[in-house]
Amino acid sequence: MSVILEVSHLTKEYKTVKAVDDLSFTLNEHEILGLLGPNGSGKSTTMNCILSLLRYSSGSIRIHGKEMSPSAYDLKQEIGVIFQDVAVFEELTVYDNIRYFCGLYIRDRKTAEAYIEDAIHLTGLEDYRKFYPKQLSGGLLRRLNIACGIAHKPKLLFFDEPTVAVDPQSRNNILEGIEKLREQGASVIYTTHYMEEAEQLCDRIIIMDKGKILASGTPDSLKSITSVTEKVMAEVPRLSEEKLHKLEGEVTNGSIRYENGRLVVSFHDGKDHITHLIDILRRMQISYLRIYSERPTLNDVFLELTGKELRD
Amino acid sequence: MFLHNYRYSLVVLLRNKGLVFWTLAFPVIMALLFHMSFAGIDDAERFSAIEVAVVDDDAYQNQVIFARAMEELSKSEDAVLHLHYADSTEAEELLNNGEVTAVISIQKREPVVRVLSSGIQETIVQSVVEEIRCDSEVISDLAKEEILAEIGEDGTDLDFERIFTDISKAVLSVKSKVNNLNQKEYSFVMIEYESLIAMTCLYSGLLSMTLMNMHQANLSAVGKRSTVAPARRGAVLAGAMCAALTVQLITLMMLYAVLLLIVKADFGNDIGKILLLSLSGSLAGLTLGAAVSVLVRTGENAKMTVLLSIVMSGCFCSGMMGIVMKNIIDKHLPFINWINPAAMITDGLYALYYYGAVDRYWFDLASILLFSVVMTAVSIGGLRRRQYDSM
Ligand SMILES: Nc1ncnc2c1ncn2[C@@H]1O[C@H](COP(=O)(O)OP(=O)(O)OP(=O)(O)O)[C@@H](O)[C@H]1O
Ligand SMILES: [Mg+2]
Repeated sequence: MSVILEVSHLTKEYKTVKAVDDLSFTLNEHEILGLLGPNGSGKSTTMNCILSLLRYSSGSIRIHGKEMSPSAYDLKQEIGVIFQDVAVFEELTVYDNIRYFCGLYIRDRKTAEAYIEDAIHLTGLEDYRKFYPKQLSGGLLRRLNIACGIAHKPKLLFFDEPTVAVDPQSRNNILEGIEKLREQGASVIYTTHYMEEAEQLCDRIIIMDKGKILASGTPDSLKSITSVTEKVMAEVPRLSEEKLHKLEGEVTNGSIRYENGRLVVSFHDGKDHITHLIDILRRMQISYLRIYSERPTLNDVFLELTGKELRD
Repeated sequence: MFLHNYRYSLVVLLRNKGLVFWTLAFPVIMALLFHMSFAGIDDAERFSAIEVAVVDDDAYQNQVIFARAMEELSKSEDAVLHLHYADSTEAEELLNNGEVTAVISIQKREPVVRVLSSGIQETIVQSVVEEIRCDSEVISDLAKEEILAEIGEDGTDLDFERIFTDISKAVLSVKSKVNNLNQKEYSFVMIEYESLIAMTCLYSGLLSMTLMNMHQANLSAVGKRSTVAPARRGAVLAGAMCAALTVQLITLMMLYAVLLLIVKADFGNDIGKILLLSLSGSLAGLTLGAAVSVLVRTGENAKMTVLLSIVMSGCFCSGMMGIVMKNIIDKHLPFINWINPAAMITDGLYALYYYGAVDRYWFDLASILLFSVVMTAVSIGGLRRRQYDSM
């Protein structure tokens, strides 16, 4: 497996904030690497530094072993970017938008036209060629944003939260598309603050906060960081302080949190605690609407690493 | 790459309804509106001179050249003004009774026009007086210069004969011009059209600004895309600028078609030079727009406001709302004219139309081109940058 992108000791300071703090990581060929972090953790800044859009304070960025710079045209030719903000011309149709951006990379008209068709199929925009961006729904617009970034068949792809404000249906389409691109040989950096997406899509995940890497590894290896083995959630509309206190005394092998009508009990010693908990709740006459068990998620990892939730 | 960008930039501009309205349609609509309102004036008032009272006191008689020119002016058949000589109280009465439109008097050696409202007739009176004042100033300056030059050369023997012929020539030319100040040909209308041309030229800044905003990564999302692409910056931007220029050429063609064919404005024989000036003026507008896009760091609306303020105040200072403003600036704040592209354009047009002063025309043209070069340099400096401290 060869390394495509190597970021070492990247630091970027804005006037007052250190947005990226001594960040180092690599991206391997055919890999989908997730950058997972809450709002403001420095994901977009990292990406814009890698793309040479932002000047950074220190560190180096190498692609295929070559220093990335604003005039590294050969490297830029291989890169495709899907920005967090939809970047399309309001005045151009779906087709012309893709055509314009593809044309910045591919000069031969025939090749470009074939590539555009591929991009349209991959993003499922066949029926919307003549539409203007204003006429597209949020999900379709995101898909157009993606089509504009991938049409020139780049080998190295950056996705910055491409699924923000997209319904689950469209989101799945997008994730499948990215998977397909990887199958076709692309390597991908995927930025998100949705842990489910990262878990589903990424081979490897970097969890960041405040510009630093907190942990990295495959989704499974990351989950083994947390000592939580099972979480049982119960929807409890009302629970008095007193009862909560008493409950904490009853459940000796788990830690209890109660907020927004949700009771979460995290266990650190194996699985299958749900029946035991149901017994306790019955005995204490605490009524609940729904109770279910969950395996630990990346959110638990994040919670354990930072003491706060990934999503606010 | 150049053609690719040219082509899509053109589509982007022409599909932008707001832009098309302000840059393509608005000047033409203005020309037609001017035409309609002026057409009314011409027909209704061509044969009736505007009644004006003149305060005929010592101060007035002392301004020999001005007084003579005024007299000359009211003599001709279709004179624009009809003078009533009176003392100041009488004149005031006439004005208050509505028997005259304006009172002209001399105060501190300067002509002063008093009016009660600001209609078209009032504006015409002000413009005529302003014009005569300028001309008489030219003559007295000329006289002073001639005399000083003679004294400087020799000290004693003044060549009165030569001074006399030179000054008479100037007086004669002013006299013939003043005689021509009849309502049909009166410049008031042309001044408005010339300001309109200047405005149209500079409005092209909207086109270039819109496109430049689309190619800077710190200004727009599409700018980021354009910047991460491996395309040569120069080719991308040149394609965009040429697209803006093309749209501007269409605008100029439409405007001149309306001015020449519908309005039937009389631009004299130098239409080629006028077109050349409009073209250079458009260049100034385009480069100004690019410079604003690069230099003004705040949002798109702020840029738009800055650009429109520069253009509109420039046009205002150079005579769009009446020539009085232009002359005030000429006289008291001349440095504004040195940096005001609108003034350079209108001045070049005046130079051709009123004075036939070709030298002054070329000087204005050169100033406009210099202005464009400076704006281009500023823009290139900013646009070449591709890495930002923040975005
Ligand atoms: N132009 C800027 N000037 C100053 N600070 C900035 C600027 N852009 C971002 N920041 C700060 O840098 C930090 C990282 O921002 P960044 O946009 O990279 O985060 P992110 O992880 O992409 O967040 P999100 O999930 O909201 O997109 C934040 O604290 C942010 O406030
Ligand atoms: Mg971001």
